[in-house]
Amino acid sequence: MTGGAASAAHGLGQRGPVQAMPIVAMALVVLLFGVFLWVLHRSEREEETLTLIKDVLWVEQNLHFQLTSDEEKLQYLAESLGREDTTPVNYSVMARHIVTVNPAIQRVVRLDPQGRPVRSEPPVDDGPALDDAFGPSPRADAFLIARSSGRRAYSAPYRLGAADTAFEIVIPIFRGDQFAGALAGVLSIDALLTHHVPWWFAQRYQLEVIDPYGAVLGTKSRIAMPEPRRSHVVPFDPPGHGLTLVATLHQLSGNLGRNILIAAIFALTVSALWSLWAVRRHIARRIRAEEALRAEHAFRKAMEDSLTVGMRARDLDGRIIYVNPAFCRMVGWSAEELVGAGPIMPYWLPEDLVHTEEVFRAVLAGNAPANGFELRFRRANGERFDALIYEAPLIDAKGRHTGWMGSVLDITERKRAEELARQQQERLQQTARLITMGEMASTLAHELNQPLSAIASYCTGCLNRLQAGSIRPDELATALEKLSGQAKRAGQIIRRIHDFVRKSEPNVAPCCLSEVLEDCVALMEADARQQGVKLVLEMGRGLPAVMADRILLQQVVVNLMRNGIEAMASTRRDRRRLSVAVQAMDGSVLTRIQDRGCGISPENAEKLFSPFFTTKTEGMGMGLNICRSIIEHHQGRLWFEPAADGGTVFLFSLPVLSAPSLSGAAMSQDESPQDV
Amino acid sequence: MCEPKLHIVDDDEAIRDALGWLFQSRNVPVASWPSAEAFLADYDPAMAGCLLLDIRMEGMSGLELFDRLSAMGCRMPVLFLTGHGDVPIAVSALKKGARDFVEKPFNDNDLVDRVIEALAFDAGERARQAGQAGVAARLATLTQRERQVMGLVVAGKLNKVIADELGISMRTVEVHRAHVFEKMGVKTAVELARILATVG
Repeated sequence: MTGGAASAAHGLGQRGPVQAMPIVAMALVVLLFGVFLWVLHRSEREEETLTLIKDVLWVEQNLHFQLTSDEEKLQYLAESLGREDTTPVNYSVMARHIVTVNPAIQRVVRLDPQGRPVRSEPPVDDGPALDDAFGPSPRADAFLIARSSGRRAYSAPYRLGAADTAFEIVIPIFRGDQFAGALAGVLSIDALLTHHVPWWFAQRYQLEVIDPYGAVLGTKSRIAMPEPRRSHVVPFDPPGHGLTLVATLHQLSGNLGRNILIAAIFALTVSALWSLWAVRRHIARRIRAEEALRAEHAFRKAMEDSLTVGMRARDLDGRIIYVNPAFCRMVGWSAEELVGAGPIMPYWLPEDLVHTEEVFRAVLAGNAPANGFELRFRRANGERFDALIYEAPLIDAKGRHTGWMGSVLDITERKRAEELARQQQERLQQTARLITMGEMASTLAHELNQPLSAIASYCTGCLNRLQAGSIRPDELATALEKLSGQAKRAGQIIRRIHDFVRKSEPNVAPCCLSEVLEDCVALMEADARQQGVKLVLEMGRGLPAVMADRILLQQVVVNLMRNGIEAMASTRRDRRRLSVAVQAMDGSVLTRIQDRGCGISPENAEKLFSPFFTTKTEGMGMGLNICRSIIEHHQGRLWFEPAADGGTVFLFSLPVLSAPSLSGAAMSQDESPQDV
Repeated sequence: MCEPKLHIVDDDEAIRDALGWLFQSRNVPVASWPSAEAFLADYDPAMAGCLLLDIRMEGMSGLELFDRLSAMGCRMPVLFLTGHGDVPIAVSALKKGARDFVEKPFNDNDLVDRVIEALAFDAGERARQAGQAGVAARLATLTQRERQVMGLVVAGKLNKVIADELGISMRTVEVHRAHVFEKMGVKTAVELARILATVG
């Protein structure tokens, strides 16, 4: 029990770190996971940025290549225009062909040496495109550059229509060495992006062409950008003029899987945290329950320790499985010595094993009396005590019957008090009897004194007169008559007493002596146990009945037994034995009551049956005398003999079933034989 | 009535009769009453003799009667008749001034002897009381001067000294002295002193 408490206290001490560990571990995992994700994310970003730059450069390259290719085609057309053999028809066909084949080229415009558009293929009202509202036509600058340099020039971008922006490639036309105008190819930025940026690029990036002022001139994207994203800017040269290509990274569709993964990991983390919290709560509940249990246990233990009632639990085989301190105190053995002890228990009386074991079996069989039973136990120091025991079945938490719980009360004091009260009551009754007897005797004496005194007075009066010689015969006769009258009066008093006593004659009926003896032994059992005397009853078989007053016979036997028990007061305790035996003899029944007492000295033996002789300080000296009277009135005989082993044996014989005449029995039931 | 006799109080008629027979055989006069109450009704302070009381009686007990009589100033000697159980009571009665107790059954002539003794005692007491009464009567007849003279005479002084002390003549002292001796019925001063001693 103390070991359990110690380990519990140990556990209590470790509770902090043990509880903190998973939290710390969890926090570390979350932190590391976060760091890992961040590192992963960073490297991914770097990778993305690299890819972005690579892709943008590739797109720029591609666009550059396209533009160069468009330039070459226009260059070829311009060269062909420089030749004399080129007819306008041919030119138209070629120009249309170029416009048709190259989707970026919206149209091709033939400029004269002054820069005025001569012919446009496809033909269109070129007015608003060239003479725009945005100031001087960007084509003019390019034309001037082309004419002066003799090389192709790119114009600044300009708005083409509502949504489109275009720029032009102006290629000078030389006939021989003669500048013969220029050829301007109008390239739509939108068309350029649409046709020359591949779909996969558009899927990953938003590609924009931005002028130096930040205006978006063209874009290729499927999705509107909700927020600024990582982007890369490269100059769009040609056409130059501060145009830039801006590629902005879309949210990659590949990110979804990763996000799901992260979400899953987060969900797992959260669930792990939740379960951790749940475990913590559970542990807290467990700890609270444990503490409540410990408090409850302490309370129960305190309660148990404070009990004065001994508690003792036994399993179904009768082995002790638990004893409380009160029980240990009661029997004087420690709990360690008692627990595990099986029958025979150390506290059983060695001299009373048979009876105790019988009771023990009855308890195990479930036949324990509900209102308890009494047993005598011994303490470790050999002391005896009376125990009052209540047994109840021991039921465990699952409702199984696992043994027996007994509560043991030390009732020695109570029994002693009861015995004392009984003795006092007896003494009181005896005193009351004595007083009654004394009063009777006194009344009797007084009653008899009156006539006797009168008789004596008459006699003396007569004698006095006779001596004086002064008496007349008639006087003498009168006096003598009165005298005889007083004598009769005395006689009547005696007769009245006799009649009174005769009224309570014994109630004689056939009775079996063995039953009488059994009753007496049962009656004296408690007294005998008190004195440590073992009672032995031996009865012959087929005992004939006798004619007797059962109650008077009981009084004789009880008186003789009590004398025997009291005679053994100084005998060694283990030798104290009173045997009561009855057997049939020819024509009579002989009862023997044998003790192992001090015996009867020869001088006492002579006077034993005389009235008012007693060896007891408080005795009246009537018991044995009355006993003998009773037996004699039953026509039997009472006597005693020294016993073989030092004590005395009292014997009485009663004749077998003949109607005894009990006339003259001066026995009253009130004068019960009690004392020797 | 006032003749000294034995007064028996006993509730047992046979005992009264038998005791009467017994005492008459020795010439002791007897009167008897069946109860204490009856005796009290007839009681007269002039009664003389002695009382024989049964302790245990119907009604008032002998002991109670004894107490009553003592309180009334009765000086007659009292004897108790007791049974075996009454001895301690009788002894305590003796200590209160009873003369004797006799246990039943009694030795009859011994009882009669004791009663006669008690009667004689009573008679003696009465005579003594009567004597004392005489001296007192004589003293009452003396004059003032005679008393003075008697006191000095009893003190043993001579006539001359007495005459000096009282401032009278010796002759006058002698006359007074003669009167005192005559009135008190004595002849010598010693006799006079003895008589005076009996009355204190």
